[in-house]
Amino acid sequence: MLQLQNISKQYDLKVVLDDINLEIQTGEIVSLLGPSGSGKTTLLNIILGLTTMNRGKIIFNDVDLTNVPMKRRGFNIVFQDYALFPNLNAYDNIVYGLRNKKEVVSEKEIQDYIEFLGLKPHLAKKIGELSGGQKQRVALARTLVTKPKILLLDEPLSALDGVIKESIKQRIQLIAKEFKLTTIIVTHDPEEALTLSDKIVIINEGTIAQFGTPHEIINQPSNHFVEEFILKQLHIKRQNIYNLFGDNYA
Amino acid sequence: MPDVKPAMRIIYIPILLFFTAFLVVPLGILFVRSFETSDGFSLSNYLSVLSNAELMASIGNSIKISSLTAVITTFLAFVLAYALNCTNIYKPLKAAIKTGILIPMLLPTITYGFAIIYSFGNQGLLTKITGENLFGIYGFNGLLIGYVIYTLPAAFLLINNSFKYIDKKFMIVSNLMGDGVIRSFKNTIVRPLLGTLGGAFVLAFILSFTDFGIPASIGGTYTVVATQLYQVMLGSIPDFNNGAVIAVLMLLPAVFGVLLLNYLEKLNFHYDKFTAIGMMQHRGRDVSFGIVSTVILIGMLSIFAVMFIAPFLHSFPYDLTFTLTHIIDTFQSSDVRTVYQNSLFIALSTAVLGTLIAFCSAVLNVRTAIKGRTSTDIISMMTNTVPGMVLGLSYLFLFNGSSLKGTFTIIVLCNIVHYFTTPYLMAKNSLSKMNPIWETTGELLGDSWMKTVYRVLLPNSASTVIEMFSYYFINSMVTISGIIFLVTAQTSVVASKIKELQHFAKFNEIFILSILIFLTNLVVKLLCDHFQKRKFNHL
Repeated sequence: MLQLQNISKQYDLKVVLDDINLEIQTGEIVSLLGPSGSGKTTLLNIILGLTTMNRGKIIFNDVDLTNVPMKRRGFNIVFQDYALFPNLNAYDNIVYGLRNKKEVVSEKEIQDYIEFLGLKPHLAKKIGELSGGQKQRVALARTLVTKPKILLLDEPLSALDGVIKESIKQRIQLIAKEFKLTTIIVTHDPEEALTLSDKIVIINEGTIAQFGTPHEIINQPSNHFVEEFILKQLHIKRQNIYNLFGDNYA
Repeated sequence: MPDVKPAMRIIYIPILLFFTAFLVVPLGILFVRSFETSDGFSLSNYLSVLSNAELMASIGNSIKISSLTAVITTFLAFVLAYALNCTNIYKPLKAAIKTGILIPMLLPTITYGFAIIYSFGNQGLLTKITGENLFGIYGFNGLLIGYVIYTLPAAFLLINNSFKYIDKKFMIVSNLMGDGVIRSFKNTIVRPLLGTLGGAFVLAFILSFTDFGIPASIGGTYTVVATQLYQVMLGSIPDFNNGAVIAVLMLLPAVFGVLLLNYLEKLNFHYDKFTAIGMMQHRGRDVSFGIVSTVILIGMLSIFAVMFIAPFLHSFPYDLTFTLTHIIDTFQSSDVRTVYQNSLFIALSTAVLGTLIAFCSAVLNVRTAIKGRTSTDIISMMTNTVPGMVLGLSYLFLFNGSSLKGTFTIIVLCNIVHYFTTPYLMAKNSLSKMNPIWETTGELLGDSWMKTVYRVLLPNSASTVIEMFSYYFINSMVTISGIIFLVTAQTSVVASKIKELQHFAKFNEIFILSILIFLTNLVVKLLCDHFQKRKFNHL
């Protein structure tokens, strides 16, 4: 279980996060949803240990990680632009971290991850030759083989087109289930957040507007912001799709 | 950007100390010495130099001839760059211009003078071909030709590079809007290039103002600052304090020039996006630019032709039968082998160490948050400003009594500092384009910072690192102004050997040594280009 207690962050005079409290259960997929500038990426980076906070605590499985540096927290992230190393091919990217800790994972497990993410045919390819979805999966594999205690994903779907988006979504859900891996995802897309995650943290102007399951958010929006910016978008989308297919498909 | 790691400081501190010891302190000493007299510190050295008519005349000469050189060079470089970028001239001709123009860079400037003498002198190759003595070459004319050849490649590279960033669609728009030829040319070519053209002028001026090799070989009685400085320091009655004053005076235009360059940078246009498009058809334009650029190129190369011919003839220009005796004689002299080995050793050491220092400085500057990292930018601006002769002289002052005196080490160090700016900027440019979160990613995957630098940053800069190496190597092979005050009989290099051979009028040896430098540089350049291409394909 990951607990965030009273987390606050400000840059100079600008308050980015104000008194954030959260509890995330092991194996859950949780999305941090909010408009740009809401502070969601800052919160992700604070959990990762990349950004320091001004106030608050991070507790993971009853261990206080607040002052533990990024490298020793045992979490890992897939960045929005993947940050793959272009001097190495797909396979060498995947096993990059293993040179530093060989004992973590066996050769068999590596092959399992590769198999699981459907990367077998692409291992020898250079990074420049991979499609967006393939890059995303290579980055996922590179992160997963280090067996992180929490998987962080920064806008994992934003650079992908329609069909691949859905398949990566399924993969993420499968990974979380298969490895009982707590997964925290940053996204600005309500549809993505509500269809992908077990729980959603809606962040607006540095505070939590609502924390709940997709069902709760749809049926009991806790305030005007959630109704106006989150639900309204989904209603418009639904309306557009109805218009396309006709009401009888509803 | 990663937090500041101890490893960063372990690299940063030695680099800072290095430049303090071999750039800041020597220049400081130079300033002090320029004010030092037998009875304390005063301005009397300056007054004595400024009231010396001969010295003042040489400064005037330098300013005059360097300005004229800069005008001619900028114009010629522009014509060549225009021909390459804005015409549809025959493709192989474009390739020939691009490569041919760079050939002088592979030779020491002192060679230019001797090549000019052998081309335009009374018995010169081109004089023979044209049948008459075109003009007196010792002094002004010879210097001017030499300076133009010397500065043309650098000015061309600068302008040609800027041409790539001009959005050529503007020419089509201007055309569609009904602009006449002159207005169109002014608005779509000259205006966007104004900063660069100014930059090329300043660059050509500084290069000619501070060069030593050309006036040393062909200056004759036309004195310029560089030869005066040499005379004062190593002539019959050395005057170190006046030497320091001249060095400071030589530094002034360079300081002014670099400030001007930074200002001109603001005039440059920055297009964020541009697409390659074909040039409009215009036969007259293509033919005329084809001819003009061919003439410039051939004119330049023909001067060097004699250098490759004369040593293979019995006694140029009197006995024109083929022989290898000069070559064999020269190579049998152990002296020549030694200076060549010295040159190679110095160039290799400079290239390896210099590339390392420049790369580390750039990594610290671009990819870390270490406090005071901008000091490497200041260092690079300083090294860009200080002429080689001034730097060498300041070393002479500071290290004269030390064990560094007369060693290879001091020459290597001087070269590293002298040529630091360009490799440093190459590395900075390449590193700043890389994904800023690679280091964080590496750290999350268990790397130490150093390990990520070695496993990710370095391999991804391979092509740039090779280019840096090649730049350092070639310049160390050809430099004479930087090292002329530092070489001794034991540490003599090819370029300084040429200067020595001049006194004995051994021109065959001079040309053979020049060919040796040329071939060595050519091989290194071709090898580096080859590896660069391979690396580039690999990515």
